[in-house]
Amino acid sequence: MLQFWGRKLMQYGLVLLLTLALNFSLPRLMPGSPLQLLAGEDVGLLSRAEREEIMARHGLDQPLWRQFTLYLGQLAKGDLGYSYRQRRPVAVIIWERLPWTVLLTGSALALSALAGVVCGTLAAWRRGRISDLGMLSLFIFLDSMPSFWLGMILVALFGSSLRWFPVFGAQSPFAGYTGWAAVADVLHHLALPLTTLTLVTIAGLFLTVRYSTLGVLGEQYITVARAKGLPEGRIVFRHVLRNALLPVITLFMLSLGFVVSGATVVETVFVWPGLGRLMFEAVLQRDYPVLQAAFMMVTVCVIAANLAADLLYPLADPRVRIEGRHVR
Amino acid sequence: MNAACIFQSMKIIGAGRIGAALLLLILCTALFAPWLAPHDPYERVGPPFQKPSAQHPLGTNDIGQDILSEIIWGTRVSLAIGFFAAAIALLLGTFIGIVSGYYRRWLDPLFMRLADIVLVIPFLPLMILLAAYLGPRMSNIILVIGLLTWAGPARVIRSQVLSLREYGYVQAARALGGADARIMFRHILPGVLPVALAQFIRAVSSAVLIESSLAFLGLGDPTAKSWGMVLSYAQARGAFLTGAWLWWILPPGLLITFTVLAFALTGYALEEVVNPRLRGEAIKNVLRKGGGQADRQARK
Repeated sequence: MLQFWGRKLMQYGLVLLLTLALNFSLPRLMPGSPLQLLAGEDVGLLSRAEREEIMARHGLDQPLWRQFTLYLGQLAKGDLGYSYRQRRPVAVIIWERLPWTVLLTGSALALSALAGVVCGTLAAWRRGRISDLGMLSLFIFLDSMPSFWLGMILVALFGSSLRWFPVFGAQSPFAGYTGWAAVADVLHHLALPLTTLTLVTIAGLFLTVRYSTLGVLGEQYITVARAKGLPEGRIVFRHVLRNALLPVITLFMLSLGFVVSGATVVETVFVWPGLGRLMFEAVLQRDYPVLQAAFMMVTVCVIAANLAADLLYPLADPRVRIEGRHVR
Repeated sequence: MNAACIFQSMKIIGAGRIGAALLLLILCTALFAPWLAPHDPYERVGPPFQKPSAQHPLGTNDIGQDILSEIIWGTRVSLAIGFFAAAIALLLGTFIGIVSGYYRRWLDPLFMRLADIVLVIPFLPLMILLAAYLGPRMSNIILVIGLLTWAGPARVIRSQVLSLREYGYVQAARALGGADARIMFRHILPGVLPVALAQFIRAVSSAVLIESSLAFLGLGDPTAKSWGMVLSYAQARGAFLTGAWLWWILPPGLLITFTVLAFALTGYALEEVVNPRLRGEAIKNVLRKGGGQADRQARK
């Protein structure tokens, strides 16, 4: 068990290191002035002293390995650089945006997992019938849609035509809400982006649940349970779901990478103040320090979630635990 | 395989026919774009923000270009990016799949760990980062998509190789002292080609979808208007706040959806036909568009 955890930790540590190395080398390997690629397009407007500060900060006059250790050291201290565009430390900008992304992706993940499990089990249970095929077609269709387009359509329908929901942002500007009114205001703003992200995420979870439930339904112990004359409801909840949901536990965590990717575009459509929208703004303004930090933050979150899923999985499925011991 | 699964695979193949028919229609649109489009998509042919009329069936955009012509020509751009990106992904994926399936001891762990890494990193933020540094050129977009989507196909092809290498004729070729390279390319490669073709078609589907997202985020090539670019401009001009979304946003998005769907359905059905052993994998692989959770599932 410990060995299994150790191996996983090593694996994800390697992924993290590679991500950092990529982030480190991109501005240094690209054609063009590394000064500009490290500090953003506005470097021409900076004073001589400021440029020298950037040079010193990144150790640009030192050998590459020294620059890399310098980079890692700064990261370890939580120093993500300085945005010369916004004239603020990048870490401050990132921390402002992170909670909004967590709110959106977290709730989308929870909602789509719930809907995916319910619909997937139902579909497998009624396999081949009209309700199964209907859900299958609907979800495959939703899966083929660009998420930003679905968002734009929802905005056009429920935002600007019907005026049920606000069309951008996460809070009403200058409204000065406090307490529960502020929460309600955020939820009102959250409705459309959350719906969009959930709809494009369900498909994956639905198909996995459906497939794994179909597999369990074919097992002999289900036939035995039926032969014993157990009620259908008991078979579904006690015998089928307990086994069919195992892969879903992993998938739930692993979907995070996908949800985060989806969130990047959905946030852009809805001007949701999260990390995805921040990346979009940083691309437009060629604000490379912010772009890099946002990418790194998103990746670190996803790697952490993956690691957590992998570490916790043996707790849910004793078979992995035991097999793991045998293999060693 | 029980009756339900067989029934299901028949449904999949039926869906594949619909997909193939749609595919043909879309390919024809791309091929005959110059004859189908009423106007030059880069020419200002009317006043801006026109509503649909006989002359401009889908109206005009913010600078007076004909939207219908834009999306007919966009078929070419979107498909071209999809095809080339998928070709890169599949060339890489097939090579890595065969080599790591064949050299199980040495290269397999290395390449599969690499595939894991590619699958874990959230692909869209990474693509945004790369595209931002590389610059919005069509070749760069193709390269970025191709280089980041090989891992899924490589996995599937590797698993095919793992079973192929145990076949009698491959064993015989090895016993006769055939060179590794010859065995891989003369004996194993033909065996994986059908699977690779199915993977290719599905890779086109995800590449088209990814391209539209990148273009929407402002990372598309401004000299080659794809469907995603049209939508990006529509968003920037606030088309969804007015009635214009009906003819400016709805049609290109539907085209993307149906193209992605057509390629995906054809891909699943083909996979079902060429490799019934992968049954169910095909369905799970729908997820590949994302972080490749399906792969990870398959290994569990």
